[in-house]
Amino acid sequence: MSENKVAAPAKKLRFMPQLAGRPYLGLSLTLAVIVIMILWPLVTGKDITRETVFTILLSVTLASSLNILLGYTGYVSFGHVVFFGLGGYVGFYLLAIQGWSLWMAMLAGGLSSALLAYLLGRAILRLRGAYFALATIGINEAMRAFINNFKPFGGPIGMTLNFQVYRDYGGASQALWMVFYTMGALTLLAVTVSFFVRTSKFGLGLLAIREDEDAAEVMGVVAPKAKTWAYVLSAIFPGIIGVLFFFKNGSIEPAPAFRLHFSIETIVMVMLGGQGTVLGPVVGSGLYQGIRGYLLTSAIFKNIQLAVAGGLLLLIVLFVPDGVIGWLRHRFPFLRRVLQ
Amino acid sequence: MNRKLLVILMLLMVSLFVACGGDDAAAPAAVDEPAPAEESAAPAEEAAPEEAAPAPETQTIVVGYTASQTGSQNVSSTRQVNGLMLWMNQVNAAGGLELSDGTKIMFDHVSYDDESNTDRVQELYTRMATEDDATFLISPYSSGLTAAAAVIAEQYGKVMVTTGAASDSTYQQGLTTVFQAYTPASRYLTGAVDLLAQLDPTVKKLAFVYENSKFSTDVVNAAKAYAESLGYEVVLHEGYDPETTDFGPFINKLQDAAPDAILGGGHFQDGSTFARQINEKNLEVNFLTLLVAPPEPDFADLGDAALGVIGPSQWEPQAAFTKASADEAGMEFYGIESDQFVIDYEAAYDGEEPSYHSAGGYAAGLLLEKAIVDADSTDPVKVAAALDAMDLLTFFGHIKFDTTAESHGLQIGHSMVYIQWQEDGGNLGKQVVWPAEGATADALYPMP
Repeated sequence: MSENKVAAPAKKLRFMPQLAGRPYLGLSLTLAVIVIMILWPLVTGKDITRETVFTILLSVTLASSLNILLGYTGYVSFGHVVFFGLGGYVGFYLLAIQGWSLWMAMLAGGLSSALLAYLLGRAILRLRGAYFALATIGINEAMRAFINNFKPFGGPIGMTLNFQVYRDYGGASQALWMVFYTMGALTLLAVTVSFFVRTSKFGLGLLAIREDEDAAEVMGVVAPKAKTWAYVLSAIFPGIIGVLFFFKNGSIEPAPAFRLHFSIETIVMVMLGGQGTVLGPVVGSGLYQGIRGYLLTSAIFKNIQLAVAGGLLLLIVLFVPDGVIGWLRHRFPFLRRVLQ
Repeated sequence: MNRKLLVILMLLMVSLFVACGGDDAAAPAAVDEPAPAEESAAPAEEAAPEEAAPAPETQTIVVGYTASQTGSQNVSSTRQVNGLMLWMNQVNAAGGLELSDGTKIMFDHVSYDDESNTDRVQELYTRMATEDDATFLISPYSSGLTAAAAVIAEQYGKVMVTTGAASDSTYQQGLTTVFQAYTPASRYLTGAVDLLAQLDPTVKKLAFVYENSKFSTDVVNAAKAYAESLGYEVVLHEGYDPETTDFGPFINKLQDAAPDAILGGGHFQDGSTFARQINEKNLEVNFLTLLVAPPEPDFADLGDAALGVIGPSQWEPQAAFTKASADEAGMEFYGIESDQFVIDYEAAYDGEEPSYHSAGGYAAGLLLEKAIVDADSTDPVKVAAALDAMDLLTFFGHIKFDTTAESHGLQIGHSMVYIQWQEDGGNLGKQVVWPAEGATADALYPMP
């Protein structure tokens, strides 16, 4: 497990933050990209643009959150969707059954996911490599089975939101726009948090764990504690946006809430853009969801969209294995201050 | 390390894509095959200039829907789409619908792959409602996807006829433009309880063993409540995981509980396995009703294990819903009869036998057609009002929608038919055994 890391001493430190330079330039660029995405539907004035961008923003938030664990800490979580599903379920229950407001439900969703991550982190973050990855899959499946048998959450039937609830938010049309802007704000927040984690002392500890966990501990990084908090931070936003997504969706069921495929897609998005960078998950999510969305609705490709998407991904991994941002940073060193 | 991981992930994604997209080749042939419609539309438009009177205006109405071309719902969804496309092609081939002002209504469709999951359903339905100018919508296959699509239909005031979506809950959320073609889950199995009561009034002990999924749980909960209201004692109420392949523990529990009748099941794979293992373990049972699996033609492959098993179906070719039966009941009949539907469907799809999913797809289009005719307009408000007022018999059965605020659009006219596998000249065949007015044979009781 860790022997490989010892044999390859810190050769990937090229992603280290440029603390001596202008760190906020990278953040500004990333946030600017997201703000442009949020404003795009206003420019086009089309509802479909809102829906397309919503899907991308959802992915950016998930990917940026996962990046804290995968990119900065080097731990692969195949079952990260468990936080999206659990947060969604807790929030949906409070919203639909207990009559809470969306905002309080979102907060509860985020906190419940964070709590789960904290408890799990204490237990499974002692595992490394493939063992940790397998454990995360097991946790997701166990949670799905638990929810499937948990009557207050509707068991296998799930829960449905009464359409009247949207009237509290100005009607369905207004509610969909409100959900969109809320998602935009959360995406900006998630990326900002990701940036400050990466450029903080805490983040440096995570990067050290990624490069060599044993060495990091020798150097004074309290690895179990740091990893646990990284796990918690990576779980909060998926929990919050789970509530938002299922509120918009109008219903929640165990299978779509804990869909393992969704986790794998998120990992692909992180790695496609460039893991360990702040901008990478944003670019990766935009590319992945953009390509998938285009192929799905293109008159030419819609019937073979999955095959084409698979082929494109294969080409990307063969020619841009470090992800888009990784490749740009490697190919054009002068961009490293901007592309973080 | 990262590169290897990325390669592994990508290969995993590609294999998932391939696995999910395995049926891509089959689905588009049915989904994107409006050729007869286009061919038939052309002569109608060409013929118009020859008439002396001013040419009637031809209006093409776009019907939008998503299909599960990939993913777990592929088979049922494809059959549903096949049925819908057959209806559309037939209407267009007949020259479309004619309104009282002479306007000809022709139909076109727009569809996308929803991949059997909810991630993009709302995005795709928004696209159809706003970009593709779909005037009417048909639901995706399955209740979960339909619930997500219904929010968009309601938001844009689009009439959506749902098919393949039996869950009651979708129609109890205050929607006004969504109408259900299927018998809802709450009445899916209640007919089986009625049949049992008629077959043997002395029976008192029931067991429910069912798949732990939204659909099956919804159905069984309603049937259990109904049975208990009739005085039955439920001696076993047990859910099993959808992946279950060994029903031994459940059969042992059934032996201990010794019920008079067993009801439950879930989908094809688990239902077939459950029936086979009940037969292998020689469990003594007088009455066995399972969801989804028995109406499928492939269920006959179980041989002796299939004999006597009863299954609810939204539609069966043998069900005698005809113009004559409508006249007898004093009801209006609309559209083709079952015999003709089967002939047309098999001719259109290389001899493929239509399932109730196919019939449901056709029926959804037929209801839309009838509503446009009744409304004499394609205005969504008028069409919704026509659907509200609808009370008729079609080849699919009786159609009537709930118009109360609490359950608007819920199907209250249609009833399930119940088939039983019986021996006919040494061969296994399906017979409709309930309701009595549509029965083609008496039920075998106790089952052999």
